[in-house]
Amino acid sequence: MTSALLGAAALALVLACALGARPRLWLGLNSLGTLSGLGAAASVLTGGRGWALKSALSLGGENVFLALDALSALFLTLVCLTGGLGALYASEYWPDDHFPGSAPRGRSWWSALVLSMGLVLTCANGLHFLFAWEAFALSAYFLITLDRERSEVRRAGWLYLAASHAGTMALFAFFSALAAGVGTWDLGPLRDRPDLAPLFWLALMGFGVKAGMFPLHIWLPSAHAGSPSHVSAIMSGVAVKMGVYGIVRFSGWLPVPDGAGWTVLGIGCASALVGIVFAMAQNDIKRLLAYCTVENVGIILIGLGLALLAAAHGHPVWGQVALAGSLLHVFNHCLFKSLLFFGAGSVLHATGTRDMSRLGGLWRTMPWTAALFAMGAVAVSGLPPLNGFVSEWAIYQGLLKAVAQKGETFGVLPAVIVLAGTGALALGAFAKASAIVFLGAPRGKTSGHAAECGPAMRAAMLVPAALMLCVGLMPGYFLNMVQACIAAWTPQWAASAPPIPARAIGGAHTALACALVAAAVFALRKVRAGGIRRGPTWDCGYAAPTAHMQYTGGSFAGIVTGWFRWALRPDRRIRRVRGYFPESALALERVPETVLEKGVGPAARVVMLLADAARGLQHGRLHLYILYVFLGVTALGMLVFQGGM
Amino acid sequence: MSAMLDLSLRLLAWLVLAPLVPGVINKVKAWVAGRQGPPVLQLYFDLARLWRKGVVVSTLASPGFVIAPAVAWVAVVGAALLLPLAGAGAPASFDGDVLLLVYLLALARFCTAWGAMETGSAFEGMGAAREVSYAVLAEVGIITAVLTLVVQSGSISLATMFAPLPGPSSALLAVGLFIILLAENCRVPFDDPNTHLELTMIHEVMVLDHSGPPLAMILHGASVKLMLFAVLLAQAVLPLSELPLPASMGVLALAVLLTTVAVGLVESLTARLAFRRVPLLLTIGFLFCLFPLLLTWMGDI
Amino acid sequence: MNDYLNLLIGLAMGLNLLALGTSRLPVLIRAVGAQGVLLGLVPLVLEAHELDWRLVLITLATVAGKGFLIPGLLHRAMRTANIARELEPYIAYIPSLLLGAGATIAAVALARHLPLLPEHAGTLHVPGAIALILTGFILLIGRTKAISQVCGYLILENGIYLAGLLLIRSTPILVEFGILLDVTVGIFVIGIIVDRIQRAFDSLDTRKLTALHE
Repeated sequence: MTSALLGAAALALVLACALGARPRLWLGLNSLGTLSGLGAAASVLTGGRGWALKSALSLGGENVFLALDALSALFLTLVCLTGGLGALYASEYWPDDHFPGSAPRGRSWWSALVLSMGLVLTCANGLHFLFAWEAFALSAYFLITLDRERSEVRRAGWLYLAASHAGTMALFAFFSALAAGVGTWDLGPLRDRPDLAPLFWLALMGFGVKAGMFPLHIWLPSAHAGSPSHVSAIMSGVAVKMGVYGIVRFSGWLPVPDGAGWTVLGIGCASALVGIVFAMAQNDIKRLLAYCTVENVGIILIGLGLALLAAAHGHPVWGQVALAGSLLHVFNHCLFKSLLFFGAGSVLHATGTRDMSRLGGLWRTMPWTAALFAMGAVAVSGLPPLNGFVSEWAIYQGLLKAVAQKGETFGVLPAVIVLAGTGALALGAFAKASAIVFLGAPRGKTSGHAAECGPAMRAAMLVPAALMLCVGLMPGYFLNMVQACIAAWTPQWAASAPPIPARAIGGAHTALACALVAAAVFALRKVRAGGIRRGPTWDCGYAAPTAHMQYTGGSFAGIVTGWFRWALRPDRRIRRVRGYFPESALALERVPETVLEKGVGPAARVVMLLADAARGLQHGRLHLYILYVFLGVTALGMLVFQGGM
Repeated sequence: MSAMLDLSLRLLAWLVLAPLVPGVINKVKAWVAGRQGPPVLQLYFDLARLWRKGVVVSTLASPGFVIAPAVAWVAVVGAALLLPLAGAGAPASFDGDVLLLVYLLALARFCTAWGAMETGSAFEGMGAAREVSYAVLAEVGIITAVLTLVVQSGSISLATMFAPLPGPSSALLAVGLFIILLAENCRVPFDDPNTHLELTMIHEVMVLDHSGPPLAMILHGASVKLMLFAVLLAQAVLPLSELPLPASMGVLALAVLLTTVAVGLVESLTARLAFRRVPLLLTIGFLFCLFPLLLTWMGDI
Repeated sequence: MNDYLNLLIGLAMGLNLLALGTSRLPVLIRAVGAQGVLLGLVPLVLEAHELDWRLVLITLATVAGKGFLIPGLLHRAMRTANIARELEPYIAYIPSLLLGAGATIAAVALARHLPLLPEHAGTLHVPGAIALILTGFILLIGRTKAISQVCGYLILENGIYLAGLLLIRSTPILVEFGILLDVTVGIFVIGIIVDRIQRAFDSLDTRKLTALHE
């Protein structure tokens, strides 16, 4: 059954690659392929038994070995889901009429991307895995640069390609060292080989680039922002998850070194915080969503890191809960991020701009997009009763259980505090994104004559929204699905389901959802019955409010960007008001790709800087001299202390 | 059946008693200033009047403008229902319900900010921006306080979480939670519920354009939230679980009253902070929650 | 006894954070003074079981010096220099507070790993001393006004004094002598520095001293 479905999926996708020039046929084939892939993944996930195919067929000197267990099936679900929905979306969003050159090319590469990601998930041979990985990276590159007339897009594609290959280099080293250590390229569980543990660092680096974890995320924002929205959706919802898949997969199959758990937890915290702070500061809606991806990968890694810690210390209770939350978040993030990128694409399609300071008031012309985007925003902020809360809640529970245990888990405390701050910042960022774009008055001419998207794009947004609601109201079903993945990750935890009160939260969510709907309907009726008078916004008695007086995205985020100015390093141009009848004033603030422009770039010139820095030690500032003394004394103290031990 | 009765009784208690809290605060303020002040039941009269009125809606606003206050109100009341009441326990209790409580409050905040942004008013945008930004620090403080309770009790469910803390920790936590209470409910010194200087407000400025029943929901929701924080503070700090049921309820009511009076006194005796100093005070509140956490973690120094 | 000791030192550690979080110099000076009084009482608590007149005298002298004399001098210096606020610190107040909290946590963590005598192990004595020293350094590094820096120096000195009290049982006279010397030198140094800076620059902003470096 599974073999037939997977075979059909592969065949349909190969044909779709070849038939990109014929839109309807392609859409049918691509949908067929993704649907049968989805069926295969679902049968593995619910049946609980893996699928494997060892063939005598040899490719590149290695026998073909394909396998699909619950863990890879979970990720295959994402691939097929967004792969199918994105194709539907693209048929309206990137039509042949407007893009006669790039539309057919885009369709072919789309199917190639879906196919190669499916292969990455099913290849159980290191060499073939690398082939599939490379095909995946390249097809993603061609999709990102679909609109290659724009120099911004070419630069983003180039950066992506460079970063991706830097990661692939680490993966080459990883798989070769693995093959050399084991004696075969075939992959599989090797949990009893502690000598292979150090390889984890290579895998973390190689897959981490793709996962977009801080500080390897430098390629991600521009690649997501510049590419067409359906490509952004699959990049953010799925392609990034391939990196996560790699980390999860090989941390489960291979033994991990000491400190791996803490490292992943720390990277997760850093990614979550940095990602959301940068997201908050963006004015470009797609760039905001891209940085939010970094944040969510951080949250996923926090859960994974905790699971690794739990495995190392032998505490299945909180490890299982955290891993369940983490894997469910992989799924959830794919849902709401696809929805949000589709929504952003719909705005871009209608108005032609991604700049939030030119948008506003779009709910009037695009009610569907507005409502669905708002739903996505609620979900991505982790608010009940939608799916985002369920997974973040499970991760939180793992963290709190670890804390309640005391002992060696002191380092978990900062992670909880970071996660709390991240959650609140995410709420701010998405309140900003949805409110600035859809509410108030139009800020520019562009949003005045926007029009709602058509049925295909709307359907592509409705499906993830419905799934989000399902996960929110019936989390038990999806947590069971994730339990199979946990069993595939480490058989030790297979025996019992994670102790998550899924029914309780499902019940609470359902009650809440009913109460919310009832209250909303009641409020609307009550207000209608009492009589509505329409008037201009009161605005504290100000007589003639204009659209330009509204709060903009930049001003909305101003307080938070002020707190993090030391990290964001915004470029500011300010011309202050002068005189009694000032003619003009100006305040521009742009947050650059700080890590790239101010971190990685200058690092190349580090030698020069070092030489300069040595001269700077002599400057005459008393405070810093005292700091030197203090550092010196501390260093001496440490030395003495070390000697004494 | 008795479960349903229990739930409805609690719901009734929250809905009916909550508007007393702002009334008491105003009475205390009036008393300190030597005035007669509005009656304690003033908010009930206001709510009844608002409920009967029609609404004026900005031409820019979508239906979300009316839906958002309703959703926020349900979220706050739902959060209040999750909270156990001293010896009476909680109507529904499961692992991690404390996070549901925190995130329900966050849902209410999202809706309030959404409602504010509906009108396209610069002032309300300002209020929404302030609300979501300062809430970051407040939420970090709340989670730190929750961590303290988790470490002390070893439980992650609200019903069993309020284990008695040792003296110094509980004193520090009380101060920390009180600061967060003031910030989250937009009281002086963070915000002035009576001010009419729109430039300086947080919560009041967000609801400038609301009127009629939606405004009644907002005001009632705010009073429920205030009482929720007072109950949370009282239970986190006092060893109520060791008392028999009637005594614990009495002590809880007294503690909530005391907290309310304290809010009134703070409001009478201090001035509102300059806005750039708000984060400093919130950081202090966070530290007041952080140190009990560390003390509890270490047990004995 | 340990409870009182912990209370005194705990309050002193709280005052550290107040000193780091305030921008008003009078508050800062009062915090340092109160800290001096609290720490001046520590010898009494430590030696509660065998009080003698010398100890009481020393305590009185320390309390008077640290708690009233030096703060009084600083108040006067502040008035003559006509400044009441530290406006542009190198390290802003929220980061200073967080650094201070971090320093306190680090001090406690460090003290748990030090090989201490059993009678010091269960108290805040050693963590308090380390936290005071670190806080003093943060103030010295992070503030620009000479008076805040002097306050930083005083907190640092308080820490050294507290650390010195660890030896009170083995070498009492020497410690007491050292404390008195510290206090005297401290007063002299402050007086001279503040006076000189004020006269030479017409301001107590030590950033202007940077002009001297070449």
